Amino acid sequence: MATLIRYALLLATTAVLQRLLLDQIRIADVAADGFLVLSVATGVVAGSRRGAVVGFAAGLALDLMVLTPFGLGALSSLVAGAVAGSLERLIVHSARTLTLAVGFASAFVGVLFFVLVGSLLGGVGLVDGHLPVILLLVPATTAVLVLPVRRLIRWAEAPSRALSPALR
Amino acid sequence: MILLLLTAVTLLTLSGRGFGPLDSVRSAVGSVLAPVGDAASWATRPFSNAWDSAFSHDDLVAANQRLQEENDRLQGQVTQSAIATEQLQELLALVSIPFVGDTPVAHTRVVAGTAGNFGDTVELDKGSDAGIEVGMPVITGRGLIGRVRLVSASRSTVELVTGGGFKVGFLVIGTSAVGVAQGDGDPSRLRGANIDIAQPVTEGQIVVTAGLRGSSFPPNIPIGSIASVRSDDAARQSTVDIDLYASTRDLTYADVVLWKAAN
Repeated sequence: MATLIRYALLLATTAVLQRLLLDQIRIADVAADGFLVLSVATGVVAGSRRGAVVGFAAGLALDLMVLTPFGLGALSSLVAGAVAGSLERLIVHSARTLTLAVGFASAFVGVLFFVLVGSLLGGVGLVDGHLPVILLLVPATTAVLVLPVRRLIRWAEAPSRALSPALR
Repeated sequence: MILLLLTAVTLLTLSGRGFGPLDSVRSAVGSVLAPVGDAASWATRPFSNAWDSAFSHDDLVAANQRLQEENDRLQGQVTQSAIATEQLQELLALVSIPFVGDTPVAHTRVVAGTAGNFGDTVELDKGSDAGIEVGMPVITGRGLIGRVRLVSASRSTVELVTGGGFKVGFLVIGTSAVGVAQGDGDPSRLRGANIDIAQPVTEGQIVVTAGLRGSSFPPNIPIGSIASVRSDDAARQSTVDIDLYASTRDLTYADVVLWKAAN
């Protein structure tokens, strides 16, 4: 229960930060995707199953804020979270550079999945000249932001002595 | 995980079929996040102003000079325009064509740009409380910029004309040529198609909304001018590139035309 509350807090904070900060700071008209960062970081820290669940919830939150087909964000973030968890499990020796690579690869798969499924569903305008820039910058920003966000995921996953008795 | 996948696919299917409650939920979330958008705009303005001052001073001086010259020129054109508008209204009245200038508009301020990285949208500071409804056209002083897609009590989300999913029926002034214009991600240009090849069109001709029966837009809203024409003799159709009059970048204000399509 405590974990659920912490993830809910993280999700709400991400939604506010996305609107307040990330959507405003654009490099080459590309904004970092906080929901994707949350999904990938969860996959990296807590495994593919948890990454998929949190990715689904985070993607759903994104779907509520944009006009692309509803459910597309949930599906792609779910995939990104699951891929991050699977890739991280393959790594024997943990290192920061490897986490960066996992973050980049998972986010790349997530964005690509978003565009491909969206286009298959008739979403016009997802594939244009700007797509290569998005496919480069969103995974890059995700990879960088995953490093500090891992701490927050560890906090969300940690057993709580303070909250547990109160919620029993 | 399979259950979540199925749920996501179900949501996508419902969305594709135009399931109404999903848009209602989006509108509700838009209302909740509206103060956050305001705070973002307020908090980031000093930084963006400082950035502009530090790195764009010469550009700003040049832009200011250009705008002053343009203002002087426009002052002179105002008088001519007033006369021309009056004449146009008289002419349109003679042939029973409604003039969009008579339709009431809601003056709004653009409070947020595109959320995320896909889809061209802006958020306006007025919503259903100001009489705005889904589907209403959005214009600037220069012409069409989009259509209202989501409305809450105090906010509207506008799908910009340059977004890939946007379609508008158009008429080429001075001809009977009609077609459908669609955005393709280019911020200043639309692609027009389905023009009967028997209706010759040329570069520079003005394009306005057609407002045909069943159209989502009233007639005679300026869209842009024809930049290039390509003809396909086999298909007996022409396609055109349309340079937009209105810029969809750095929007500050926009008017929502309080016009509803006839059912």
